[in-house]
Amino acid sequence: MTKRRMMGVLLLALGLPVTGAGAVQKDGKLYVKARNTRVLKSPLPTADVVAVLQPGQQVTWKGADPKNKQWHQVTEPGGKPGYVFQTNLSTKPPNMELVAKDGGTRAIDPAAFVSSGAAVKALSPGAEKYGNEKGGTSAQAVKQIKALEDLANKVTPEQIAEHVRQAGLFPVVAPNTTLGPQKVTTGKSSKSTKGTK
Amino acid sequence: MRSLMKVLASVGVGLCLTSCAQVTKGLKAAKLGGAADDFVAASEKAQKCDKLGTPPAIAEEYALGSALAIRWVQQGGGLMLSGASEQQLNTYVNTVGRNLAMQSPRPTLRWTFGVLEDPRNFNAVSAPGGYVFVTRKLLQGVENEGQLAGVLAHEIAHIALKHALSQYATVKVSACKGAVVGDVVFGAIAERLLSASNSDGKLDLDADTGLMGKMADDTAEALSKGNSKDQELAADRLAVELMLSAGYDPDAYRQLIAKTAEGGGVFANHPKKEERVKQIADILNKLKDSGEAFVELSPGSLHNPALPASFSVVKATGVARDTK
Repeated sequence: MTKRRMMGVLLLALGLPVTGAGAVQKDGKLYVKARNTRVLKSPLPTADVVAVLQPGQQVTWKGADPKNKQWHQVTEPGGKPGYVFQTNLSTKPPNMELVAKDGGTRAIDPAAFVSSGAAVKALSPGAEKYGNEKGGTSAQAVKQIKALEDLANKVTPEQIAEHVRQAGLFPVVAPNTTLGPQKVTTGKSSKSTKGTK
Repeated sequence: MRSLMKVLASVGVGLCLTSCAQVTKGLKAAKLGGAADDFVAASEKAQKCDKLGTPPAIAEEYALGSALAIRWVQQGGGLMLSGASEQQLNTYVNTVGRNLAMQSPRPTLRWTFGVLEDPRNFNAVSAPGGYVFVTRKLLQGVENEGQLAGVLAHEIAHIALKHALSQYATVKVSACKGAVVGDVVFGAIAERLLSASNSDGKLDLDADTGLMGKMADDTAEALSKGNSKDQELAADRLAVELMLSAGYDPDAYRQLIAKTAEGGGVFANHPKKEERVKQIADILNKLKDSGEAFVELSPGSLHNPALPASFSVVKATGVARDTK
């Protein structure tokens, strides 16, 4: 059995949403699932950016590109046509969470949510107090987690996109929300242990 | 005598915490008075505790997750954060992890990935709110980025599917019922639990470190017994889905599982390999043809990238390979 065919069997066997729980046909609605999802002018990762969408926004599906079925023709919420990478889209909506100032959660506009930076939240204040009061090595753990969170927050979408490009992975999370021509990055792709299949 | 009857009523509630609705209704209708009334009152309070079993709000999830994260870091011997090379390792793990998490069913959750010092246990743990930790020992056994991605994706899946929160909900209800009985949970913690049972079932853990400690301790104890096999299988399925979404070859994850001793380390509570095979066969039989419908995932153009140079810091004992 070829590697590619074996992967197909694995996919099917694992029951992954090859068709999706709720199958979507042409002109049906799909959800954007990944942060900074780009709608591109043509089915190429370097094409001009028509729109950048956020998780929970919906597009109208027009079908897979006949030459490369990993790119899908869509109409974005503003009515502009374009192409989106396959795994940026889902038949199911993502979960959206927001902690409001009053501690509750509320329905949100996906684009406004991401641009507000409201998703960023540090170690909870109660947990920090709890850790510092608990004794033993817990205060040190609090200090380390806060340092780790600072470090994690410095990992930007630009860094993630660059890593993905170098590793030869799928261009799902865009580096920014800039529209128009993309800044072309040059450089060698990293060596794969198995190569492209 | 009256106090003895009260004790008996409490014991009755204690023994009949989960399925006494009908009995309570019958006793109430019979208007027997005395101990029966005490029993009815306590039983009604216990039934209200079920409100605490509803999924917690995000603020409560973050608070619980933060407390559990502190515990996991302590148990793991602290985080590998000393010096530039260890920080670089954590930056790399966060880059790989956040790329996967941003494609998960909870893309807007705050996600933090860290490496625990633990050189003995091949393990990965997660906590609600988006905390994922892997041990140094595990990283020493990882041969490529695909394997790392598989482990991180499995933990992301547990968080996205709210498996620990499910255990937490059970802990909350049980603690509340313990507060009703009065001799299991008492004092300010009992008051807060009973107050929540009379409102929306939510707990403000940040407002009371005693309550937070109790909930974190009990949840950690429940988690130490492991997730159910169904939850582990579900986490495996979502992990593979996340890998495919990002462009990783899921076979790397399968290889990592294959070389792990059955029932040990991070896979201690996972189903046996034969059970996985059976599940795969069962799912295969239920598959439908995609036809003209949208296809979310496909097996084409998958990669299995090499590990970066920053990974060498985990190889104090020289187990993992470094090719990038």
